[in-house]
Amino acid sequence: MVKPFNILSNRKGRVEGKAKVTGKALYSAEYELPKLAHGVLVGSTITNGKIIGIDTSIAKEIPGVIDVLSYWNKPNIAALENAEKRKDFPIHHTFFHTTKIDFNDQPIALVVAETLEDASFAASLVKAQYEENKDMDIDFDNVRKRVDLNDMKDDRGSSSNWQNAPHIVDQEYEIAMEVHNPMEMHATIAQWDSANSLRVYDKSQGVNAVQNNLGALFNLDPKNIRVTSEFVGGGFGSGLNMWFNTVAASLAAKQLNRPVKVVLTRPQMFTMVGYRPESWQRVKIGAATDGKLLGVIHQSKHTKSQNHHFSEGITAIAHKVYGFENVQRNATTVPLHLSSPTWMRGPGDSTGTFGVESAIDELCYKMDVDPVDIRMKNIAPYEMQTGNPWSSHFLDECLQRGAETIGWENRPTKPLQLKEGNWYTGYGMAVGLWNAMRRHAGASIEMDKKGNLVIRTAMTDIGTGTGEAIVNMAHEFLGIPREKIKIELGDSIHPKAVTQGGSWGLSSLSGAIAAASTALKEKLATYASTNDQQWKAASIVLGENEISMQGKPDQKVTYASLFTKNNLDTIMVEEYSSAGEEREKYGFCSSAAHFYRVKVHALTGQVKMDRMVIVVDAGTIVNPQAAANQIIGAGVGGVGMALTEKQEVDINSGRLVGNDFAGYHVAVNADVPLIEVSFIDKPDPHINPMGAKGLGEVGLIGAAPAITNAIYNAIGVRFRKLPVTPDKVTSSFNSSA
Amino acid sequence: MRDQPSSSKTYSRRFFIKSSSAFAALAVIPNSVKAFYNHIKEIFVPKKEILPLSLRINEKPYSLDVDSRTTLLDLLRENLQLTGTKKGCDHGQCGACTVHVNGERVLSCLTLAATLPESDVTTIEGLAKGDELHPMQEAFLEHDGFQCGYCTPGQIMSAVACVQEGRTTSVGEIKEFMSGNICRCGAYNGITNAIQSIAK
Repeated sequence: MVKPFNILSNRKGRVEGKAKVTGKALYSAEYELPKLAHGVLVGSTITNGKIIGIDTSIAKEIPGVIDVLSYWNKPNIAALENAEKRKDFPIHHTFFHTTKIDFNDQPIALVVAETLEDASFAASLVKAQYEENKDMDIDFDNVRKRVDLNDMKDDRGSSSNWQNAPHIVDQEYEIAMEVHNPMEMHATIAQWDSANSLRVYDKSQGVNAVQNNLGALFNLDPKNIRVTSEFVGGGFGSGLNMWFNTVAASLAAKQLNRPVKVVLTRPQMFTMVGYRPESWQRVKIGAATDGKLLGVIHQSKHTKSQNHHFSEGITAIAHKVYGFENVQRNATTVPLHLSSPTWMRGPGDSTGTFGVESAIDELCYKMDVDPVDIRMKNIAPYEMQTGNPWSSHFLDECLQRGAETIGWENRPTKPLQLKEGNWYTGYGMAVGLWNAMRRHAGASIEMDKKGNLVIRTAMTDIGTGTGEAIVNMAHEFLGIPREKIKIELGDSIHPKAVTQGGSWGLSSLSGAIAAASTALKEKLATYASTNDQQWKAASIVLGENEISMQGKPDQKVTYASLFTKNNLDTIMVEEYSSAGEEREKYGFCSSAAHFYRVKVHALTGQVKMDRMVIVVDAGTIVNPQAAANQIIGAGVGGVGMALTEKQEVDINSGRLVGNDFAGYHVAVNADVPLIEVSFIDKPDPHINPMGAKGLGEVGLIGAAPAITNAIYNAIGVRFRKLPVTPDKVTSSFNSSA
Repeated sequence: MRDQPSSSKTYSRRFFIKSSSAFAALAVIPNSVKAFYNHIKEIFVPKKEILPLSLRINEKPYSLDVDSRTTLLDLLRENLQLTGTKKGCDHGQCGACTVHVNGERVLSCLTLAATLPESDVTTIEGLAKGDELHPMQEAFLEHDGFQCGYCTPGQIMSAVACVQEGRTTSVGEIKEFMSGNICRCGAYNGITNAIQSIAK
């Protein structure tokens, strides 16, 4: 186990920072290939039915247009040639191999042209004929009433044990459809180097997953497919799947025998690459008079598409976060005529936590107890599902530090107490918890004659700071100056690694970096050892020009002499690592406490985030600046979730309404204060060699209920439906007046 | 001559689109009808216009032939391989494409290239002087004013304008001024702190 560290670099900022601030970083749509053609996707104008014909005659007459791909014009793909085989593939890989339309803007054609202008204009001229079925399910509020809940079959205790509890809250909570919207729009460049060799630049969170998906689709050995996602302009989950832009570019490149680039438009980012499903939940919680939480019933329903199953486990949080002795969970999914949802930052748990943390706040006001006290009293004492002890869990310290930082003791304990002009002030808090996972990942280290290292892994850096974290970890394990380390990542030619997501990226990689570092030291020990002088691998320290032995300042050998003596050009090591039996013995989680202060305007209904304090236990913090940035960004996402983000759907046509940044409001700079983040920064003793637990999701989980709880404290109105837009606030003032 | 339309007022674009697909569907069409069809096609399907354009980008002169429909953003990204300027929405809603034209901040996705004869364009690639980064680039590095880096060039170009226009008297003013540049990663602390450090 290594000690937590806070190294400040001599070089400014992240290892890849200079590329990003100078515009030199290349994202997937930005590679220059000879004869590159531009593809623009055309979406269906109906929501449910069948496409029976497509008229591309005018589009094809536009100068510069090369071809228009569709159901009626595409290369033969054996894997998709019949309906039975197509069942093995997600629906969003097969749009040109089906005539069935299940949602509005389902891709029906790809116009390929010499320039983007030619392709975009021609795409507007493609006309399709449909057999439309007007009988469709769009309105979640109505359709969900027809769909019964399923028993999750993992009850703990019994709900009958606490139905007569002295204090009970039983409420329903709803969250609108949210869309990831990373700033880089999904894009793919595909080129067939030969009939059996495919080269792809893709916006993706996992190059190996794209490689495998394309391999299955085109019946290729994944080794013959190279996928690059070196710089990824954000993900938040939208890059966990391979979507149709990747398939369409690969199909078109095959058909035309030249490289094709497909970039989605911003409106297509709302219909073609997933979203967080709209959800409903019911939370019933009972408590004893001493504040002990006795039991919970957590029920949920969320949307999905017609032909692609997706379930995100909204009620999982009921099991995890508190020491409920009685838990009942029921859930289901509701198929609608909308595109497929997918995991979005803090999937399931951030939704479920809005319900649970709101209900507990309601309970606190009913019982007149401190929301911090009731949580301190009920933190899950061990991993509730397994009975395993927590490997490490410092939610209590997060709560204490957060309360102290914001001045929780001095808050008004009742609503409508603080008013200045037309602004009411309120304080709210909530907690978040996320399973700390670790998956299979590999890394290689190459050393040259000067002792410079290149560390390679297929894992992507989607902005989380993976590259800089690798530098820090290698420095920690090897002692080598950070300036001697270069990173290459996000390419399937490098050692395989799990997709970046689920907050498991750094946790998974740390094992691989540790193993590769050990392997490198072992090789160096072998090369350095002579009959006169033995080198112990574990004690080797890599310096600027030489290796030395810890505790033996005189024992040194320069890289140059080591390489010359052994007649070497480079030293290469490659190692892989996974979680082990520690998973059978311990529970692993990261946690967060959110303490917020809001101001609510009595006339305009504006909710202003006045102060946001987030304290996080994520084990060792490997890269303090990037880690804080992650939590700040999660807080910003929480503000969007609570106050602004809602994708409107026209329930009559199934069309999205205002699906761009003018209609869909993400939180901007002025919507948030300078967010105050701090970390407990204690290593987890078992999770991985670094002791780091992961923190991408946990900063979002609990953010939204902390905001609505603060609004309640300000104005005494409980909002159980997100987002809380100003119109809802003003009408609440009107109805209470 | 009697079959020839005198102006576009006579036939609507919708009529053309409808009739053209009907024509395409018919196997045998008399030549006279085809000629008529081609004539109205020329009226209703706009021709690609290529215009000469000379301008300076990052102090380098360019003499180009540009499609009249090409935005400054697509000219930079697709024609000149200056991909530092980013496309985040193509509708002027996100700020990722911000560049400077004649010293003023401009959304390059809403600016047709052909409207910029003899203009001076500065993009993120032209901000540094050789290896020496612009102070704002240094400040973004120091304050970690980004995560994924995609909105960053636009943020930096707007940040330079924010300082030049003197909109840095408070955190609140910086945040308000910078709210046309969306960062979905939410790196707003770093962006704001970077600008404040330069303004001081």
